[in-house]
Amino acid sequence: MSPARIVVVGAGMAAVRLVEGLVGSGHRVTLVGDEPHLPYNRILLSAVLEGTHTAGALTLRSRRWYADDDVDLRLGTRVLAVERAEREVLLVDGTRIGYDRLVLATGAIATLPPIRGLVRLDGRLHERVHAFRSLDDCRRLDAAVPHARRAVVVGGGLLGLQVARALAVRGLATEVVEGGEHLLRGQVGPAAGAILARDLRRLGTEVYTGARAVRLVDGEQGGLQLDNGHVLETDLVVLTAGGRPSTALARAAGLEVRRGVVVDEHLRTSDPVVHAIGDGAQRGGRTTGFVPPAWEQAEVLAAHLRGRAATYDGSRVVARLRATDLDVAVLGDADAAGDVVEVSNPVAGSHRRLVVRDGRIVAATLVGDLARVGLVTQHFDRGTVLGPHEPGDLLLVERPARPTAVPDDAEVCACAGVTAGRVRACSSLEDVRDTTRATTGCGGCAPAVRQLLAHRTLEVSPS
Amino acid sequence: MTDTHCPYCSLQCGMTLTGRRTLEVQAWPEFPVNEGGLCRKGWTAAGLRGHRERLTTPLVRDRATGELTAVSWDTALDVVASRVRDLQAGHGPDAVAVFGGGGLTNEKAYLLGKLARVALGTSQIDYNGRWCMSSAASASNRAFGIDRGLPFPLADLEQTDVCVLVGSNLAETMPPAARHLDRLRERGGTVVVIDPRRTATADRADLVLQPVPGTDLPLALGVLHLLDAAGAVDEEYVAARTTGFDDVRRSVASWWPERVERVSGVAAEELRALAALLAGAGTVTVLTARGAEQHSQGTATVQAWINVALALGMCGRPHAGYGCLTGQGNGQGGREHGQKADQLPGYRMIDDPAAREHVAGVWGVPPASLPGRGRSAHELLDALGTEAGPKALLVHGSNIVVSAPNATHVTERLAALDLLVVADIVLSETAAMADVVLPVTQWAEETGTMTNLEGRVVLRQQAVPPPAGVRSDLDVIAGLASRLGSTAAFPTDPEEVFAELARASAGGRADYAGITYDRIRAEHGVFWPCPTPDHPGTPRLFADAFATADGRARFVAVEHVGAAEQPDGAYPLHLTTGRVLAQYQSGAQTRRVRALPDDGVFVELHPMLAARIGARDGEPVVVTTRRGELRAPARVVATIRPDTVFVPFHWVGANRLTNDALDPSSGMPEFKVCAAAVRT
Repeated sequence: MSPARIVVVGAGMAAVRLVEGLVGSGHRVTLVGDEPHLPYNRILLSAVLEGTHTAGALTLRSRRWYADDDVDLRLGTRVLAVERAEREVLLVDGTRIGYDRLVLATGAIATLPPIRGLVRLDGRLHERVHAFRSLDDCRRLDAAVPHARRAVVVGGGLLGLQVARALAVRGLATEVVEGGEHLLRGQVGPAAGAILARDLRRLGTEVYTGARAVRLVDGEQGGLQLDNGHVLETDLVVLTAGGRPSTALARAAGLEVRRGVVVDEHLRTSDPVVHAIGDGAQRGGRTTGFVPPAWEQAEVLAAHLRGRAATYDGSRVVARLRATDLDVAVLGDADAAGDVVEVSNPVAGSHRRLVVRDGRIVAATLVGDLARVGLVTQHFDRGTVLGPHEPGDLLLVERPARPTAVPDDAEVCACAGVTAGRVRACSSLEDVRDTTRATTGCGGCAPAVRQLLAHRTLEVSPS
Repeated sequence: MTDTHCPYCSLQCGMTLTGRRTLEVQAWPEFPVNEGGLCRKGWTAAGLRGHRERLTTPLVRDRATGELTAVSWDTALDVVASRVRDLQAGHGPDAVAVFGGGGLTNEKAYLLGKLARVALGTSQIDYNGRWCMSSAASASNRAFGIDRGLPFPLADLEQTDVCVLVGSNLAETMPPAARHLDRLRERGGTVVVIDPRRTATADRADLVLQPVPGTDLPLALGVLHLLDAAGAVDEEYVAARTTGFDDVRRSVASWWPERVERVSGVAAEELRALAALLAGAGTVTVLTARGAEQHSQGTATVQAWINVALALGMCGRPHAGYGCLTGQGNGQGGREHGQKADQLPGYRMIDDPAAREHVAGVWGVPPASLPGRGRSAHELLDALGTEAGPKALLVHGSNIVVSAPNATHVTERLAALDLLVVADIVLSETAAMADVVLPVTQWAEETGTMTNLEGRVVLRQQAVPPPAGVRSDLDVIAGLASRLGSTAAFPTDPEEVFAELARASAGGRADYAGITYDRIRAEHGVFWPCPTPDHPGTPRLFADAFATADGRARFVAVEHVGAAEQPDGAYPLHLTTGRVLAQYQSGAQTRRVRALPDDGVFVELHPMLAARIGARDGEPVVVTTRRGELRAPARVVATIRPDTVFVPFHWVGANRLTNDALDPSSGMPEFKVCAAAVRT
């Protein structure tokens, strides 16, 4: 398409991916974000909290990079309204920016759980209560950690477990409260969830499942009261549960919104010059909360805006927990239909489950033992058709080969082409070197030669 | 007794030859690179001498009958010269092309370049080194302003704390080099091997990563991501000695380990282990070889690993940095003296006016008479016999039919030529297609210099007289030049050619001006650059400055695009190729050495894959790709990735399968990965 004014609302990971895809396209891009920071890698915030990732290394692109491609960066400001008739967005400071194409990449927003006392009268969170969605949230929590001894994480999903592990690694006595019957209920079944809970307890973090936090209790012995009446004493409460597509802007503009902003295979909303991508978009009845599908959408949209054929038909999702000493990978939908091949070992804390349909892995859960995660992911992503025994073999550990006696005609030294028999016929290592040249090339056979020389009388060779 | 060097790989191991009738290989313990050690290829090198297939007379083909007939040298050269003249008269100077090799001596490579530019006046010259280390060359030039495989002697490896080998199987491809890794480990150092196969080299590593073929690039991005996250970047070094880091730092912010895991098949924990190892090491050396380089994104892959070495502050520090393990015997020297389409002697660029003037001065021709930049190797082969492409090809030191990617297509192009001339020692698969075959001298029958993987110029000395009827490539070139009416000098004495080469290289990046045969003999080789007779040579580069205009190394941000051909339903596997210990390159030499085992081509696959398709060890399987098919016995091994099959490339077949997608910067074809299917 001819050069256009493209306004991207939201400056998260999907938005940056889109801008990267538009580099050199001739389009004039404006990126509007409400956070004051240069766009950063949001999914690594828990690693920053844990202390394994410096905050400075989160920034996705330098200010110069945007300038080099004439991307108009509007950070620390908010879009108040989309005026579709005028094809303009209105910022909070009254500025109007015209567009030929508008992209809503507004992401998701945290929803507050119904816990009494979370919010103060002035509308801000209670000083002990923390959200964990933005870099500022992360910094605020990070600053509070040195003054705290105990923490309660509300929500036993991926983010909750990552934050819980980060706080525990930082030395806080940490507890997790999950309203559902097991951890990671969006991703895994009860067996895997139970193993995870056991892992967390082993690591010193108590887990309460099937328990709802109902009230924040103030005072010296303050804490978080559960629906069973129990009060968890704590200095910090971190809210990780709940989150929904941010759709207010789209809804106000009269675009079709269900759970998220409804888009077609070209990521178009009900207005053909307005697109939506990322956590806020809904395609084929689904919204996603992960980076890879958001990026795939951004790539498809970038291609589309460059006039290239590309359509989005939904992505294969691989969810990976990023937390020290907790190993979880979830591929595809937990409720995918197919034959289940499963190896569960609660004793060792491992649970591996493949869902196979027509020979293909359509979903998988790996907890506690990720030795084959790379290969399983490849098979999943590429839709490899496996043999009937292969799913089972994938879940078993490779057995080491049994040691066997080396026959005389077996080659020991590949460099010089020397057999075990010739080595056995030698009197010493020096003799081997001089008469056969074994060990003088790469030297890799030296241990084998020494062993052969030491044990030759004990060996029974077949010939 | 003649001190000389092995006829095969870039290590150029020193050896002593004795005897005249029955040539014998003896150890030369004083030569420092291999200290008397050799692999079985080296020990048996004399086996080619007196082989019954050795060519001893020129042959000319009658196209009507298809028969090759023995002719005199004068007749053969007259035929070539007259056909060349006719074709150039009808189609212009570029109608004739030249294809060289990375196994040719510096003297031959130099004179071949001069033949093309001066006597033939063609821009169409390139060589099989494009298929060797050209991606590393192109990345090194960009990052360091110079391309010398190793910027330090190989033995420096022994003193490094962590050595990372990306796509190198040196224990099998250059076995005597492995001693340096063993000593590194004896000292308490750590070796890391990155390879889709757990090779003999991986067996001596402390950490082995087995990525999906074609994903060494995202691995490097992930490593740098973790190094930056951990604060392990040497900020002082980066500020003082480099440019461009900020963009690179930002570009890796989105390559967290779990993303790398999904792309590369390497578990996030393994990547973390590697990063932690590097972050905690005093000195790190990163070495790449063909596994990382022979890709359509080979240059970017090498650059990504250079970025890692630079961010750690390693390049230019003692016992640390980045290096490329060049493959062919003279892969290094062969690319420095003018057989590359875009270069003149001394690693000068052919479109640089000052370079043209200097070289034209040495050759005694007007600078404007030198042609410009020609096609890169595969582009050249692809154009043969087409409307706009060359109609004739002269081949020296290359067996294209076996070694070119998508070989069936390339063989068709060779067949479409009006004239194919091949100089070789035996009737190789390529020579067998030629219109004129010229029998030339081989190793031990001739003298010449080679530049090994360290940038050390060594001297191969003649030990025996060549068989009657055989001439050296230098003689062939001079004979053609004079028949083509060239007035420029084409000396045939190697030492004289070398002296001219030294003058032509003076002031260039690869400056040989101060090197002489006598110095090489006295000093166990001389490292370039060596601009004057009293200069000691340069074993180590970059201690004070890089060879860029501002003296700083360049970080370059690179993105992962992935292999040109991805597996799909019809071709669900990755195919990768490589070498076995007892064979070398297209096998034209080693397959004829009786003492070397020639088990033929095979297909390596994992037990899980074997079970899937019902294959058994030793029984035949069929590998197919979009370009061809190969039937060979299966080798079922647990050391390869289950989604990947491996085929060695020394026999006709492997390269009928490989993909000729090219790296945009180096012209390197994607030998190391394509989509394949296997069945019984």
